[in-house]
Amino acid sequence: MELTAEAIEMKPDTGSTQKSVPDIYLPPERNKVADGGVPHVSAKNFSIYYGEFEAVKKVNADILSKYVTAIIGPSGCGKSTFLRSINRMNDLIPNCHTTGALMFDGEDVYGRFTDEVLLRKKIGMVFQKPNPFPKSIFDNIAYGPRLHGIRDKKTLEGIVEKSLRKAALWDEVSDRLDKNALGLSGGQQQRLCVARTLAVEPEILLLDEPTSALDPKATAKIEDLIQELRGSYTIMIVTHNMQQASRVSDYTMFFYEGILVEHAPTAQLFTKPKDKMTEDYITGRFS
Amino acid sequence: MNEEGNATAGRSSAFVVSARKRKLQKITKSAGESLLFLVAAIVAIIVLFIFYFVARDAIPFFQIRGFSEFFTSSEWYPADDPPRFGALAIIYGSLMVTAGSALIAVPMGIIAAICLSDVLPFSMRQYVKPVIEMLAAIPSVAFGFFALVILAPLLQSFGGPILMWTWWLIATPFLLLAVIVSSELLVMSISDDVRRQQVQRILASAFGIVAILLLFFVGRGLQKIEILTGTNALNVSIILSFMALPTIVSVSEDALQAVGRDMREGSYALGATRAETIIKIILPAASSGILAAVILGIMRALGETMVVWMASGNSSHIPDPWFNYLESVRTLTATIAGDMGEADQVTGSARFHVLFAMGLLLLVISFISNFISERIVVRQRKILSGQ
Amino acid sequence: MNLGTRKLLDRSFTALGIGSIVIMGMMLLVVLVPIVFNGVTANVFRGTVEHRKLLYNEFRRGDKAELQREIVESDAVRSKAYAMLDQFEVEMSSMDEAKQAEYQDKYRQVKESLKALLGPRPGGDIPELTRYKYGQTRWSKAEEKLHELLYEKQWDYSNPDAEAKEYFVSRSAGFQGTSLVKLFPYVEENLDRMLLPEWTIYWGFITDSSIDSHIFGGIWPEIQGTIFLAIGAMLFAFPLGVIAAVYFTEYAREGFFNSLLRSANSTLAGVPSIVFGLFGLAFFINTLKVSESKSVLAGSLTLAIMILPTIIRSAEEAILAVPKTYREASLGLGSTKWNTIVTVILPAALPGILTGGVISLGRAAGETAPIIFTAAVSVGSAIGLADVFNSPTPALSWNIYNLASEHEAASEIRHVQYGMVLALVTIVLLLNMSAIILRARISKKLKG
Repeated sequence: MELTAEAIEMKPDTGSTQKSVPDIYLPPERNKVADGGVPHVSAKNFSIYYGEFEAVKKVNADILSKYVTAIIGPSGCGKSTFLRSINRMNDLIPNCHTTGALMFDGEDVYGRFTDEVLLRKKIGMVFQKPNPFPKSIFDNIAYGPRLHGIRDKKTLEGIVEKSLRKAALWDEVSDRLDKNALGLSGGQQQRLCVARTLAVEPEILLLDEPTSALDPKATAKIEDLIQELRGSYTIMIVTHNMQQASRVSDYTMFFYEGILVEHAPTAQLFTKPKDKMTEDYITGRFS
Repeated sequence: MNEEGNATAGRSSAFVVSARKRKLQKITKSAGESLLFLVAAIVAIIVLFIFYFVARDAIPFFQIRGFSEFFTSSEWYPADDPPRFGALAIIYGSLMVTAGSALIAVPMGIIAAICLSDVLPFSMRQYVKPVIEMLAAIPSVAFGFFALVILAPLLQSFGGPILMWTWWLIATPFLLLAVIVSSELLVMSISDDVRRQQVQRILASAFGIVAILLLFFVGRGLQKIEILTGTNALNVSIILSFMALPTIVSVSEDALQAVGRDMREGSYALGATRAETIIKIILPAASSGILAAVILGIMRALGETMVVWMASGNSSHIPDPWFNYLESVRTLTATIAGDMGEADQVTGSARFHVLFAMGLLLLVISFISNFISERIVVRQRKILSGQ
Repeated sequence: MNLGTRKLLDRSFTALGIGSIVIMGMMLLVVLVPIVFNGVTANVFRGTVEHRKLLYNEFRRGDKAELQREIVESDAVRSKAYAMLDQFEVEMSSMDEAKQAEYQDKYRQVKESLKALLGPRPGGDIPELTRYKYGQTRWSKAEEKLHELLYEKQWDYSNPDAEAKEYFVSRSAGFQGTSLVKLFPYVEENLDRMLLPEWTIYWGFITDSSIDSHIFGGIWPEIQGTIFLAIGAMLFAFPLGVIAAVYFTEYAREGFFNSLLRSANSTLAGVPSIVFGLFGLAFFINTLKVSESKSVLAGSLTLAIMILPTIIRSAEEAILAVPKTYREASLGLGSTKWNTIVTVILPAALPGILTGGVISLGRAAGETAPIIFTAAVSVGSAIGLADVFNSPTPALSWNIYNLASEHEAASEIRHVQYGMVLALVTIVLLLNMSAIILRARISKKLKG
């Protein structure tokens, strides 16, 4: 949480805007992003339980299509749980169940006839720790397409190149696609994981603290990558780094103890938070 | 310690003690540590001793009889005059029952381990693990008794029908699955939906008929088999697989658990099913650990004495044909256990030492496989930690 | 592959996994159920008057007056059968030579079968061996013997390709036209009055010594031998194992020597059990001469070596599971390392260490191969505690093998064998179950 310490420095004074926080760069066009757009994922009274414990409490939110939404909040606030529930990764945790509705493209994610395999194909996810498979770089990227029935070598090669280019990794690894992916650096591994996810052509990209295990340089590359993917995919990113949230996202959701406290355009949330709790958090009164 | 220092030195500060005392402390400490070390080293000494004492009594045999007879002849008549010590059939018998038990225990053990680590919910695991532990705890002589008194008569009187039903029970689901999947795979290239379904239906029914015929005729063939003796290699292989299973399951499960959740989540998040995740990601990543488990399990079967002694029939010959599991065999361990009684009185003769030669052979095999499995586990740990 | 097939494969895979687990559970049941079921019959069975005679004569147990009344009652019924035999003998002596020769052998068989069923005829010579002194003590056995009396077993060799099949011929048919014909229905109808079966719980099976090499009596010498051997092995292996574990976890520095010791440990764990037996014979008996020949001491030492790696491993795990904070807290209070180990770490790890110890105890009790050459004898009475240094002992594991494979009447005393197996399995599984419960408690405690 050393990054929150920096967040204290950038504490905006009441009334003043970006001028007092020079270390945060907010592209001017971002402020225009406000309303409009289609809800891609929407939660209605959506709660997640671990056994008896209600980890996420009655969330109501619309995540807009093709925008970057950041989820922030202190650790244990349910932000990761919420993110993982969108492509049903929480199914893997015993005793985890949900109430309320979570809709994706107008369909119920937790509906009786929802196939989690197809769902996960459409909603890709990148994890906190880079988790490449102990296979070659090529096989890592081709793993998903192969699962979904693509066998043709030429097609696969095309997909691998396209995905690696999208993930800005092609130039670095194009000459050693047959090498074990575990030999890459941490940042490269994480971009490989992004490329691997992109290869199955998802509509939504879920990023669960994708830079927490990386050094600042690799972090910057991942952030650049998010910027480039913005507009083509709906991206949701969980981060405990508020600077990162303000740098990369259009919208920000603030969770506190399982409750969605505030959900607003990023610029607005970081400069004129409506809720006292949000203000306390972004100004570093607690973390 | 501090107070003592104060009391003796008087003048010094709270934690400085006299040089002599410090020295004394150091000596006591290192003496204690060496004592502990000696105790820990006992294990290594025992291993050396086992090798030395088994070899000491094994070498005279090779001095008297040479190597070639032992390993190449299958004439085992130690009590004849002149005696003959061809152990080939016995070594073969050991290998045969070990291979047989591995054929049963390895696939089952790995699948059960996967089921334990990835399929069953945690609450169920708590009930399954004691079952495995109990299976491991049952004394080998109890298994041997079961093989001799219950399984052998059953095989002898109902051998054919038992084989037939086993075949049906195992083969039916597999063939059904094979029919569905192969018909599906063959029509994948047809793009027209309606035609594809038609072709698939035709293919599936054709395959289905073949499968049913296969089931029926193989079953009938098996039913006709008469098992002349219940104490045979099949019986022993089945029981040995019971005994090797717990080792294979628990060690493989550890290897599977070591792969970690990250890798599993990565695969699931790409839209893989559980079977795909396990077969394509987890098994390859855990393969060396599973190999180690298999080696340990096989060693358990190879080194087992009581079951083979009681239920293998103890006849020293190579079955005809060589894969005939329905004949009696004799193994190294059973020979050591069974012949020592007669060889004991004539200590010094080749008949006594040949048993130690067999023991040495077992010891060397177990040492080598242990070494290999240990290397393999170390290597897996290195690979998974990304080195 | 389309999604349907993938899902089908996935489900089949799951079914396969669950199936193999189920099969493993079935294996356990298939092995345990007959052992438990038949083993219980060693203790609980329908005992005949012969059983009560045996108990009274050999152990002075039971109500003498009641027994005498029963003997009188059963003898009254039996005497009629004996009278039929006498009558037939008279009849036979009046037949011509050829006829006599024809009946001679058959009649001898009938007499033998009746003797096996009811015991020696009162008034005749008393046999040497105890097994011939009594009739069938167990009703289920008596029924088998009755079948032998009524029918003769013959073999059908008519099909030269297959093995000969057995079939049964009524004996009474062979005596058609003689007075002996009446004997067979008489015995069949009155057998219960001759033997007076009653449901009996024979606890003595556990606490009695065997009589006439396990044909009668109990298995106490074996149980005691197993306990001696297992506890003896623990006495050597447990302290050594715990100390070695302390060294490995607290003192050993990573390096060549340490990894060598660890390899030695796993090598020892992989040595086939029969090789331990060979080593015990060659080292403890032939070289060190801890005893003249087989002895409990030599067996315990051999078993101790066998279980040492298990104890070390489990003790190591238990010590490593002790939270670091305990160690730091103790050292922080100014206690020495050794003090910390003895007063803080070992007590905290004790349940875990005990769990491993209990499992090893079960393994030592159940293992056979190491004691074949070093400690076990087939027959013998319970030995005293003072004899452990120089005398061998019967033990459950060895005697199960011996009775089932080498005993001259192995198929006659299945109930004793089952009883022994049940006793051994019960000892081992009880130990294991207590270990499992102990471990469950520890993990609950650690979770808080």
